[in-house]
Amino acid sequence: MTIDRARFDQGLTYDAYKAQMTRNLDRLEENERRVDLSKEDLAAFRALPRPVRVVVLAEDWCGDVIANLPVLGRLAKDSGKLDVRIFLRDQNDDIMQRYLNKGQFKSIPVFVFLDEDFRELGHWIERPASVTEVRAKHRKAIFAAHPEFGSPDAPVDQLSEGVRLQLQGELAKMREETTKFANAEVVRELREIATRVAA
Amino acid sequence: MTAIAHKVKITYCAECGYEQQTLDLAKALMLEFGSRLSAIEVIPWDGGTFDVSVDGQLIHSMTRDGGFGDTTAIKDAVRARLSA
Repeated sequence: MTIDRARFDQGLTYDAYKAQMTRNLDRLEENERRVDLSKEDLAAFRALPRPVRVVVLAEDWCGDVIANLPVLGRLAKDSGKLDVRIFLRDQNDDIMQRYLNKGQFKSIPVFVFLDEDFRELGHWIERPASVTEVRAKHRKAIFAAHPEFGSPDAPVDQLSEGVRLQLQGELAKMREETTKFANAEVVRELREIATRVAA
Repeated sequence: MTAIAHKVKITYCAECGYEQQTLDLAKALMLEFGSRLSAIEVIPWDGGTFDVSVDGQLIHSMTRDGGFGDTTAIKDAVRARLSA
């Protein structure tokens, strides 16, 4: 099915989505506060000739949603040019089936950018490939620096609880250290799609 | 004679919403094997993980085998381990 005005209007606004979250609201709002938008990026969104509609698929348990939806939320709030409607993935399979990652995975978040006539400008899924790549390199480096973590490909249940906690801490630290880069990459990719809207 | 302790570990991605599948499998194993298992350990992890091991031997991995695995096949693998 196509997304038309009626279907679009069934989605939740960003604030309504936040109000119905049952978990991770504190993390989402903390990430919102930490999004650092450059003047240039903000100017590009503010300069959009007309508001762009964004259909979002999300769920509050998903780490990539908690990390990346706030970036879109801040872009919408600070630019005033994005009209966001959020749909819960597991209750809106008609939309999800159209935007499967690699044609098979229900990866979220999904951001679908639509012009005023509900024609798709482009869509974005999960996280930038550059972020996956950078984090994979850092992960490899962590395992190389800590022989006690064993092989990066081995099941973590083979590690003792203490070592597992240590590994979890190192991975969390790495994600923290790469967040600024990740947010900048999300903004760069979303800007590229949003600015396809015709003048 | 001392009974041998057999332990199942289920490692699941806590950032992927796999809680229900984890609980369903844990329950199925509880009902099937009862006290023949010394423990069922549930480990929250990330990265799309859904691994099941018995006594340190990986019997299902989402990364390796795809999906959450067939519960009957997982139970068979546990049973084989128990009678080994």
